[in-house]
Amino acid sequence: MDDPTDFDVSVKLHVYGTIAATTRVPTIAEVAQGLKRRAEEVEQAFQRLFKKRLLVLEPDTGEIRMAPPFSAVETPFRVLVEGKSYFANCVWDALGVAAALHRDADVATTCGDCGLPMAMQVRGGNVVPYPCAVHFAVPAAHWWDDIVFS
Amino acid sequence: MLLFRSEEHVDRWCVARNLPRRPIINLEQLWQLALAWYESRLTVESRRPGPDEIDVIFARLGLTDSFWNPRA
Repeated sequence: MDDPTDFDVSVKLHVYGTIAATTRVPTIAEVAQGLKRRAEEVEQAFQRLFKKRLLVLEPDTGEIRMAPPFSAVETPFRVLVEGKSYFANCVWDALGVAAALHRDADVATTCGDCGLPMAMQVRGGNVVPYPCAVHFAVPAAHWWDDIVFS
Repeated sequence: MLLFRSEEHVDRWCVARNLPRRPIINLEQLWQLALAWYESRLTVESRRPGPDEIDVIFARLGLTDSFWNPRA
């Protein structure tokens, strides 16, 4: 039997490679097909990657909800990179998409209070200055208590 | 964490939800956090930073208040 750690790395790279290329977070079935493995094996790898805090899973299906910084569902944090549109989990992850892809990016979001549009840009490995305030509502020790809220 | 137009908007958001105002960081600090967490995320060796590494990252950015302690 393969070392599960090696398999987990393969799963992780396949998940992130798929997202980077297509903007879509793959399902268990799609990863299994891509790696020519059984769905149960991929499901178990997802669970191990969740325990390492590299994935967040839907509790009812075991499918990926978050492959940080990417989100599998639409969010108020849309990131445009070279014509592709990704969703991020929060404002930190919105810049994280640019960091992970090593590309210029345009982030479109809204003010958490008044809902007016806001925009951030990453150019040449730097964030372009923009008047704003980033607020953390949850202490660091509790981010993973409810990572969707955090 | 959320993005706001200004600290005044943070205050209004907290009051409307009866939540305490927590630390605010600036955009450059946020970018440095994004790099620290995600710059290698698409590579073989990528992993989430451990508590000791998180301490170093936060301290480098001047985030030394107990709010930033990653240990429960």
